[in-house]
Amino acid sequence: MESDIPLDWFLLFAAAAFAIGLIGVLTRKNAIAVLMAIEIMLNAANVNLVAFWRYGPLRPEAGPIPGLVLAVMVLTVAAAEVAVGIGLILLCYRRFKAADVDQYDTLSG
Amino acid sequence: MPSTPPISFDPRDVFFITPQVVLAVWGLVVLLADLALARRLAETARRQVVGKLALVGVGLALAAALAVMLVPLFARAFPEDASAWFRRRTLDYLFENDPTIFLGTIAGDLETGTFNLVFVLLLGLVTWLSLAWKFTEEWGEYLALLFWATVGMMFLSAAEEFITLFVALETMTICLYLATSLEKARRRSAEGGLKYFVYGSVSSALFLFGLSYLYGITGTTQFNAIHGLLAGAGESGLAGNPAGMMAILLILAGFGFKIAAVPFHQWAPDVYEGAPAPVAAWVATGSKIASFVAFMKVFANALLPWASPGGNILGPGWIGVLALIAAVTMTYGNFAALAQRNLKRMLAYSSIAHSGYILVGVAALGLSTDGARAAGAVLFYLVVYSFANVGAFAAAAWLMRDRENDNIDDLSGLAREQPLLAVCILFLMLSLIGIPPLAGFFGKLYVFMEALNQPSGSPHAVTLIWLVALGLFNSVVSAFYYVRVLRAMFLRDATGRRLAPADTPVGLSILAATAVVIVFGPFSDSLMSVMQAAAAPMLTVPATVPPLDAPRPRPGKVVRKPVPRFEYSKEEMERMRSMANGGAGPPGGVRPAAKSAGPSAKAKNAPASKTENAPASKANNAPASKGALGDSTRTPGQN
Amino acid sequence: MLRNLFLVISTLGLACALATVLSRNLVRAGLWLVAFFFCVACLFVLLEAEFLAALQVLVYIGAVSILLMFGIMLTRGVQGTDPTSNPSARLAPGLVAGGVLFLLLSYGISRERGLRTQRSWATTGERPAIEPGTEGPSTPRRDAINNMGKALGVELMSRYVIAFELAGLLLTAALVGAIAVAHREEAFEPSSKGAPASSPAAESASVA
Repeated sequence: MESDIPLDWFLLFAAAAFAIGLIGVLTRKNAIAVLMAIEIMLNAANVNLVAFWRYGPLRPEAGPIPGLVLAVMVLTVAAAEVAVGIGLILLCYRRFKAADVDQYDTLSG
Repeated sequence: MPSTPPISFDPRDVFFITPQVVLAVWGLVVLLADLALARRLAETARRQVVGKLALVGVGLALAAALAVMLVPLFARAFPEDASAWFRRRTLDYLFENDPTIFLGTIAGDLETGTFNLVFVLLLGLVTWLSLAWKFTEEWGEYLALLFWATVGMMFLSAAEEFITLFVALETMTICLYLATSLEKARRRSAEGGLKYFVYGSVSSALFLFGLSYLYGITGTTQFNAIHGLLAGAGESGLAGNPAGMMAILLILAGFGFKIAAVPFHQWAPDVYEGAPAPVAAWVATGSKIASFVAFMKVFANALLPWASPGGNILGPGWIGVLALIAAVTMTYGNFAALAQRNLKRMLAYSSIAHSGYILVGVAALGLSTDGARAAGAVLFYLVVYSFANVGAFAAAAWLMRDRENDNIDDLSGLAREQPLLAVCILFLMLSLIGIPPLAGFFGKLYVFMEALNQPSGSPHAVTLIWLVALGLFNSVVSAFYYVRVLRAMFLRDATGRRLAPADTPVGLSILAATAVVIVFGPFSDSLMSVMQAAAAPMLTVPATVPPLDAPRPRPGKVVRKPVPRFEYSKEEMERMRSMANGGAGPPGGVRPAAKSAGPSAKAKNAPASKTENAPASKANNAPASKGALGDSTRTPGQN
Repeated sequence: MLRNLFLVISTLGLACALATVLSRNLVRAGLWLVAFFFCVACLFVLLEAEFLAALQVLVYIGAVSILLMFGIMLTRGVQGTDPTSNPSARLAPGLVAGGVLFLLLSYGISRERGLRTQRSWATTGERPAIEPGTEGPSTPRRDAINNMGKALGVELMSRYVIAFELAGLLLTAALVGAIAVAHREEAFEPSSKGAPASSPAAESASVA
């Protein structure tokens, strides 16, 4: 494989996607938009994990695919998080008739 | 054809996770029983039936946790008896010198045994407290989520490896998000749940990104292996390695959210106020204990070589950051608590402040030459703080039940109506302040002593002295807001509705918490020795890490040798358990026999010939973890 | 060739991510998110993790995005407009924070030093080679790439069995809890949201 992709290209992509996700978390007020931004951040971490697995060394105590296993776990966790998040957002929407985080006002702070 | 060498875990390892299995299964049982049978009953009867069923599950889990903790100790203490009781295979297993189970992913040692017990006891109190009044429609789901959150906590405090740790962390927090918002008739519950969810998910993403960098740097996810790789890496270590600093900061941010350390604390007041009181108690105690145990495992075991590589507080390393966070956290938490009028919100800020004190202990642990003692101090503080806090939240639940309100002023006149419980709450508050004969005082004392007990000439000693001074100042500040609670109870006349007498759920939680706080004041050294014993295997590096590419000498490698400093027997464990249970049980007469100096220096002869120090011997001569053995056919670093 | 492909995919992916974050219309944001997920799946293929790419498409595009769409439509109506989002007052600090984070992370990536004898990230120009095809010596990585489903199954059932079982419990809990939280019961009457529930909380002092 001549002129393979360097490792840090993947890492820079992941870093950029992570930063974009953080921008979303910081700027969006709608809870679902925040949830989308969180998903972007989790995906960025997954790209890191898989790239490190493919390019990095393997160590015997962690098995042949630790990065992949963690990526699969992240996938699972993300699915569960979205289900829970949508449930909570629907509950809040019914209580407050709004899906924007800053319109919830019963708790001071 | 792929020729993966067959690896599999030892099926006998399942014995060590019976408490978790029992709780997970019992959660389903409660859920199904509620769905199938109890929904036909009237509200109160349903709550009682499902709640009693849940308490049966807690009892089963308690039995399982005791068995898991005591059977290996028993076998090691009385080998002759054990050989009559167990088969050869089982006996061999119990004497194995490997504290990790399931191929090195989780620990099955005294630490997990002790903390499983603590979690189950706290869960029992929280479950019982939940039965006090009607706050949700979904009893089956609510109790199941409490149980499953506990399973997450148990695995979180047992994890020896980052993948398991991450999944356990998520299991715990997702169950808690949901439980927080199950008081569906109140808007603040839904709002608290959503805020908890948003902050928690962002923190998980930060944690995960830092974790991915750590994996990239080391190529492994196991704590011990990471420790071995980082130790003595010298030039290629943290100094001049900004990626490592990024990883540390991101992981710190992730844990900072879970333990509510400033500047990651914003969720805590809203969640504590919004959640139903038992859930708030569980967030404040169970999840905090589990997060701190995992935090210590990650930072004081895996990342210990990066604590302060340059020996300079301003240099790279996590000690400086941690000291700063600890200082800000305790100061902010205490001063913000001064302004609160809602009891649960005040407890939230005070819990932030307590996180700050505990972080002082963790910083001391990062520098300490005697890890087990410093970590034992932190664990002691955690346990005592947790029981006191459950009691305080029980008071909030009581207010909520009878006055539908949980402001501090609503406690007015409690001393005249309910003198006994008012005195109990007095003791809880005094313990949280840290007044001498109570257990909270000894928690602070041990933590601060460990912080001061640095080797002379250590460059960090001055920093830690300043931290301790700040902590003492903060303790004085904290007295003001705790005393406001007492003033309302004892000096004011009742306003509004009278509180109905506390029934079993509320009264039992307050009484049990008070008993713990009082008993472990004078007997703090026995709890401390148990906690030190629990901390020893948590911090050791039992597995010899296989050499990487070329076996090079590692000049600065620090392998913590567990010092057999405390020995205790089965009778003592019984005694500890009976005390933790509130005093009932066979009184054992054996004092803790501490060999060396320390807070528990009362040397009396334990049956030393028979008593084997389980954790130390487990960790001392462990050749390699099972995982490393099972895979030794592979050459490291090869593809 | 591979490099050009990577550049195209990653540029597209980042553009989609940015569009997700900045789009005013939530439904469009969700669609951009689907495109981003797909780009990430393509990167997984470039990293020779085809199994994970398939999972990514199934779980993220097939389940997560659909759930998000349901959420949008249940709370916003079918159009999904979000007029309140992105006031410029919040956008500028957010962009600055994101930019600073990216600069820090890229600095960290470029300056990483390999642990001991490892190569640093910046100098790892190519991945460890494996022989194509089914012939050749068997190494763990090669086996994993050629037969990723099996390798993953073996790992999940042996070394990471606790994590696997916990993930099952996590999904159960999420299912049970999400239903319990979101299902519609009319116990919430407007009267109870008025006096007892919100007023004490509202009058509690604010610090933050």
